[in-house]
Amino acid sequence: MYVAKFICILMPCVTVAVFVAGMVGRLRNWNRAGAARIPLFPTPATPWQMWKRILVESLTFGQLCDGNRSLWIGTWAFHLFLFMVLIGHTMLITDLNTLWKNLGFEYGRADRIGAAIGGTAGLVLLVAAIYLLTRRLSSARVREISSLEDYVSIALILAVVISGDLMRFSSYFDTAPVREFFPGLVGLQITAIPHNRFLLIHLFFAQVLIMYVPFSKLVHIPGVFYTKSALYRC
Amino acid sequence: MGLQSKMLQQAELDKAIEAVKAIRNGPMVLQLYMDICTKCGTCARQCHVSQSDPDCYANPAMRSDRLRRIYNAERSVLKKVLWSVGLVNGNGLTARDLQAWAKDFYSCSGCRRCAKFCPLGIDNSVITRKARSILHSIGLTPRKISKIQQSDDRFGNGEGISPPTAVEIADFLEGELVEQYGVAIKVPIDRKADVLFVTSGGEILSYPETLMGCAAFFHAAGIDWTLSSYAFDAANFGLFTGDDAHMKEKNRRLHEASMNLGVEKLVIGECGHAYRVATQIGGANYWGKDIPYQITSIFVLAAEVIRKKGVKLDSSQNPMAVTYHDPCNYARSTGLTEEPREVLRACAGNFLEMTPNRDYNWCCGAGGGLAVLDGGEGVHGMDSFHKYRMTCTGKKKLEQIDQTGAAYVAAPCFNCKRQIGQLMEYHRREVAVGSVFELVGKAIVFRG
Repeated sequence: MYVAKFICILMPCVTVAVFVAGMVGRLRNWNRAGAARIPLFPTPATPWQMWKRILVESLTFGQLCDGNRSLWIGTWAFHLFLFMVLIGHTMLITDLNTLWKNLGFEYGRADRIGAAIGGTAGLVLLVAAIYLLTRRLSSARVREISSLEDYVSIALILAVVISGDLMRFSSYFDTAPVREFFPGLVGLQITAIPHNRFLLIHLFFAQVLIMYVPFSKLVHIPGVFYTKSALYRC
Repeated sequence: MGLQSKMLQQAELDKAIEAVKAIRNGPMVLQLYMDICTKCGTCARQCHVSQSDPDCYANPAMRSDRLRRIYNAERSVLKKVLWSVGLVNGNGLTARDLQAWAKDFYSCSGCRRCAKFCPLGIDNSVITRKARSILHSIGLTPRKISKIQQSDDRFGNGEGISPPTAVEIADFLEGELVEQYGVAIKVPIDRKADVLFVTSGGEILSYPETLMGCAAFFHAAGIDWTLSSYAFDAANFGLFTGDDAHMKEKNRRLHEASMNLGVEKLVIGECGHAYRVATQIGGANYWGKDIPYQITSIFVLAAEVIRKKGVKLDSSQNPMAVTYHDPCNYARSTGLTEEPREVLRACAGNFLEMTPNRDYNWCCGAGGGLAVLDGGEGVHGMDSFHKYRMTCTGKKKLEQIDQTGAAYVAAPCFNCKRQIGQLMEYHRREVAVGSVFELVGKAIVFRG
């Protein structure tokens, strides 16, 4: 009872505060230090082309396709399905009823489609994350540069993914209480707290992961735009 | 031998640690490189040294980690906690660590191939240069390299050539040119002209064929040019040692000579890093956007002249199969890939492209000043740096050249030429190595 209250009410406040403060701090450090220009040729001709190239590279991981094909498959699948899952999670908060109606789906059907896509994504993520961990352990050149941080990162991700998959696949999971709780939480109105064990585990690790982002290599998410704009600036 | 004999004081170790911690004040890219590396290992996959070095020292991410550990021990809360319970390596730099730094960061040639492939845009050459600047500030730069920089400080060139000697060299080369061509080709020096030509001083001494080819080209194209005894050498070892102050001072010579001689163009010869410093780092960046002269490469100039048919070239004079090596500082750091090929194709009939080429070409293995290192200093696990270059850092380039089946490698950079020439000799290959303008010199036809 108290654990559930902690994970669902108190911890989110801490998580959001730590995440926002951490990210703001990190971005401020980067911005304060001044832009660099270390062009790596051939550089794009205009700023618009530069951002387009950075966007394409970030979406396709094209450099890995050329430079490290085996990694590319694993990590691109991982990032792509992670992105899909994150988008899908917005349905917890927004429900998107109007959108579904306009697309011609009724509520229950949208839910089942979400379950199918989400379930697939959850499995792909699991396989991809296990691949990344295995690779880190088995490849000498990668193992020698790995430190605790790298293992903690993938372990946290695995914890979130596994608990999410267990939620999805273990027994019938009623999403209704969850759908009631989260919009409430975002709107700062607390309703009945969900008690599903896997959900609580999932929520716990997800929040630890979110808090971990600004202080670890996971901050590469916004970071990559800074580094690449230094290299591709014309 | 070498570095071990220098006893490092605690003050010097502290200086090194402080310099790394100061990254938190900038530059931005270094901060990012400390923060966002995801340890994917792609840089090692694409590094010519990492691919050929059986030891793990040549893994770019691992090398960069040497700085990261110090930087992180003072930064992130999580890392501080983990460090305090011994779960993450922290700072506490020892003299031995720094001696390992000298070997690590002088096994990187700063070729930036890793930056091409890193999905997060991390350029390990920037980290290498930062570490080298720290080493330099505490006197751990390999002696051969710091000696050349000292010569630069004293004489304005790495070879210790005084102005009267420079004039003598110019005279001597004029004599050689008359002998070669039967035409009175001048090598002007310290005269007001349209073009100031500056190239690697070392190459002028050791491989004068290149300058002679350039002089013949200028003469045939009717270009009014000059050398400068004050700015005799375009090479800039401040780039290699990480010494920004020296880099600027050496570049100042080129600027002052250009201003004093009232030239329209400052033309850099066949030297990769010289061209990079002159155009990307120095020039307008140091001396203002309104400098009255243009800075360009002999290749850009020559390609334009060739297009307008300003010289007559007989490519049958160079019948052998020629391949072209892209110096890293041309292909990746200044974007100069097409003009040298234009010039080369115009004077050599049988041109073979190596694979990969242009901005994906492999480093010769001796960039970043490594070409001048021969002895025991700065090398891991081998007797001599020469052997290291021949059997490890140069391995990829050797394979590439073998694959082309060429009889001549045109390498428009003195350090690359030195390295590739030594590679061919060491591995008993019947392949000649030379500059592009040596071939131009052979192909020039003087009208009338």
